[in-house]
Amino acid sequence: MRVDDIPIVSTVFDAGADDRVFDSLLLVGPLVVGLIVVLGRSLFTEALAAAYIAVFVAYVLSQAVRE
Amino acid sequence: MNGAVATVGRDLGRILEALGGLLLVSLAVPVVWGEYFAFPALLASALVPLGIGRLLYRRYRGAESPGRFHGMIVAASGWFLVGVFGSLPFLLIAWSVRLGVPGITTPAGTSTLAAFTDPLNAVFESMSGFTGTGLTMTDNEEVLPRTLQWWRTFSEWVGGVGVIVLTTAILSRPGSGSLTLYESEARSKKIHPSIVSTVRTIWWIFALFTFASILALWLAGMPIWGAINHAMTGLATGGFSITDNSIATYDSAVIDFVLIPVMLLGSIAFPVHYLILQGDLRNFYADLQTRWVFGYMGLGSALLWAFLYYAGPYATPFAALRYGLFQFVSAATCTGFQTAVDATNVALGRWPSYAQLTVVFAMFVGGAAGSTAGGIKLIRGLTLVKGIRHQIADVFYPESAVRRLEINGRRLNEEEASREFMEAAIIVVLWISFLVIGTFLLLLVLPAGEYSLANVLFEVASAQGNVGLSAGITGPESLPTIGKVAFLFHMWIGRLEIIPVLVMLRTVFKRGGLYR
Repeated sequence: MRVDDIPIVSTVFDAGADDRVFDSLLLVGPLVVGLIVVLGRSLFTEALAAAYIAVFVAYVLSQAVRE
Repeated sequence: MNGAVATVGRDLGRILEALGGLLLVSLAVPVVWGEYFAFPALLASALVPLGIGRLLYRRYRGAESPGRFHGMIVAASGWFLVGVFGSLPFLLIAWSVRLGVPGITTPAGTSTLAAFTDPLNAVFESMSGFTGTGLTMTDNEEVLPRTLQWWRTFSEWVGGVGVIVLTTAILSRPGSGSLTLYESEARSKKIHPSIVSTVRTIWWIFALFTFASILALWLAGMPIWGAINHAMTGLATGGFSITDNSIATYDSAVIDFVLIPVMLLGSIAFPVHYLILQGDLRNFYADLQTRWVFGYMGLGSALLWAFLYYAGPYATPFAALRYGLFQFVSAATCTGFQTAVDATNVALGRWPSYAQLTVVFAMFVGGAAGSTAGGIKLIRGLTLVKGIRHQIADVFYPESAVRRLEINGRRLNEEEASREFMEAAIIVVLWISFLVIGTFLLLLVLPAGEYSLANVLFEVASAQGNVGLSAGITGPESLPTIGKVAFLFHMWIGRLEIIPVLVMLRTVFKRGGLYR
């Protein structure tokens, strides 16, 4: 079974950005927010949130460099 | 005529079904927060538009595809109906708390929630949400049930996506900016040509920005529920808050400065965001509107800072910068978040008149066409300025000279230039006309001497520009009934850029037989 055969994942991949990194950020976004809701503020959740934003910004910049 | 009714009826049915769907999704909120008293009211609020929508859709399923005329009528009437049916959660939850729900414990009523037992207040709140305005009939958002806090936020978020789809895909026309963005030869890539794929593209960009904004606000120190709500309403440039004093409640310079880019994201055209996310960063300066989003917000903030520091109420340059920059960006992006309140510094309504009028100018111009911002939109302001300069310069050229007007990298011939200039001029004239009428009306119905002309102009511009900043006039008690009805109209026409509403009203009055 491939990753994009999983129901929600396939929906996001079909209706999403046609870009695996953006699609992954779309899928991971609610999970990170959910983790923060459940676990509260800690070094781990803050690092997770910072990493999400860093990946997003870094990927857009890398796209620009490639362009 | 029958064909038009069928097409409009079918599409309105789909819109009401979608509204019902959004309310059904929101049923998770009272469950998660344990607000079971809100569940029956929210369920009933979902079933009413769902049922009516299903009936309309079934009745007119075979109708013809809509043209631009139908698109305008559907947009105008659809937004109105969504505002009306979207008020049901406010109305029914407020009455549930007042009357009690059999078998379920209900919390003690508050005056804030009780205001929504009046249907006009409920419709006002809903219309303010779906138009992304943010003016409110609550006097303390903190005491609202979480379910209603969420519904206010969700309505602005969905309304924000709706208006981008409306302007980039449905109502795009010459001079509106969105068509020019859509078709510009200067673009290396077009946003997807079909409406369905355009909607999908807008959704994923919007969702991605929302997650990033939530996390950024949370990292800045905002509690997660506040971060979720303020990220959604900030990105949608709506401005509803879940706290009594809007963003001023947090009294944090870090949060203020993190919110500024969130609001700016919402005020940049989404087709441009699409290109930037593909790596084409040149659009930050190559796109006329985006360049001016930063240019005029920078200049306006600097001017406001100077007013607030050298001649105004703030003692330190940093305080003037913090509140001036935030309030100018909040106004120009048409978000309406407020940090200038008496609880922490100096309320907007007590700023000097020239500072208030600077903020009014920001609300009047607004952000980029194709974004969630309101106002006349930057592209229209720029088209007017360039068009006037072109016309005046014409005097100095021989009659035989062939001149072209250059806007955003496009070279328009005489006919194209005239059409785009005319369209921009019509919108601006209508915008100012309704602003003046609304100001006169409000001056008539408000208690004499209580508010200055600057206050009244500020409030009407805020409603019509879908901004939501308040000089203190809007409230369940302070705004008379006529004022509430007038503001409903201002918010509605402001969101739809006036013309679709006038087209709809003309169709209703003329074809409905009220005049011939």
